[in-house]
Amino acid sequence: MTAATETDRALVDRVAKGDRAAVRLLFMRHHARVYRFVARQTGSEMMADDIANEVFLELWRQAPSFEGRSEVSTWLLGIARFKALSLLRKKKEDWIDDEAAAAVPDGADTPEVVTMKEDKAAALRRFVNALPDEHRVVIDLAYYHGQSVSEIGEVLDIPVATVKTRMFYARKKLGEALKAAGYDRGWP
Amino acid sequence: MSAAEKMSRRDEMETLLPFYLNGSLEGSDLEAVEEWLASDPAALAALGEAEAEFSGTTAANEAIRPPADALSRFAKALDAEAGPRKPAGSSWLAQAWGRFMAVPVGVAWAAAAVLLALVMVQSFVEPGGKGNDFEIAGAQDDLAKMPFALVKFKPDAKMSDISGFLGSNGLKIIGGPTADGVFRLGMPAANAADYAKQIGLIAAQPFTETVIEGRKPADGG
Repeated sequence: MTAATETDRALVDRVAKGDRAAVRLLFMRHHARVYRFVARQTGSEMMADDIANEVFLELWRQAPSFEGRSEVSTWLLGIARFKALSLLRKKKEDWIDDEAAAAVPDGADTPEVVTMKEDKAAALRRFVNALPDEHRVVIDLAYYHGQSVSEIGEVLDIPVATVKTRMFYARKKLGEALKAAGYDRGWP
Repeated sequence: MSAAEKMSRRDEMETLLPFYLNGSLEGSDLEAVEEWLASDPAALAALGEAEAEFSGTTAANEAIRPPADALSRFAKALDAEAGPRKPAGSSWLAQAWGRFMAVPVGVAWAAAAVLLALVMVQSFVEPGGKGNDFEIAGAQDDLAKMPFALVKFKPDAKMSDISGFLGSNGLKIIGGPTADGVFRLGMPAANAADYAKQIGLIAAQPFTETVIEGRKPADGG
């Protein structure tokens, strides 16, 4: 089996045996997504850089205990999430606040002015970015990381029903924000 | 179906759409979404909206660019974490070289090239050092002035054949391999005629795939 076709799990098995080339291959495959995931969680690319590195060092340390019950990508995102939360708690940053991050434009411009300046796609990107973290993260995990409902539950350590509830409210907020900006999509 | 029930079903379907789009939906949830898409005129528009969210989320994520040197910094951190790789030094190199000499290397040419590169590195640490069968590169200053050719060996070339040829003709590997497997071969040519003769000799070897003229002796040619 060549490196190009070797599965993530096979590479983790190699890492468990002390193979540094295998951990570097996994780094190349997953680093960008882990980095972006953490950057979105923390709002800091500097923190994302440190934590993403730590995630792959953790992979090196924990590979022998990886049981393969989840995809390697899910496992890495779970480690990343845990490390990001730990660091943020340490820094005493209040990063989860449902009320604080309203899904409406911020800054000096009124919504109407902002809307005039951008198209729907740009507005959507901004509204996704402005979602409360607990909602944005399920959007990111589903749309960008391709995670299933149960995998998101695993990464975030929450029940499947909660994943669905958060997805429902995340999409509802996006719909409301779009409607406020003049893009009524008929739901909610 | 009442309006409230309809709304409830719509909400449920809207909740599942992102997972339908990312291909992770299965079983009864997948069937329900597909049935909805096939039967409700509003469903296709909803799917289009979810696709727009998909694109927007992807764009928002990909706008974040990881640092270009992340891998090299990680490799250093990994080495610091994991400790030294293997015992280093000329005795290890000599052993490794010996192993390669003893084994047909038809299937391991890439690894052999790496080993040659390691020999090169070692030679810079110990200028003028010698390998088993051929003289390896000397002081960097000498190398900079040496006539050379660029050579690519055939993938099935035997290390023993190459090293024997290099040793018996006073040739030295002074650089490479590149990612394409090209070596810089130092040549003891005193003049253009010598240089041309040696180029011909290298090109005539069965293990040579390509040879390209590089720096020639000072008398031109």
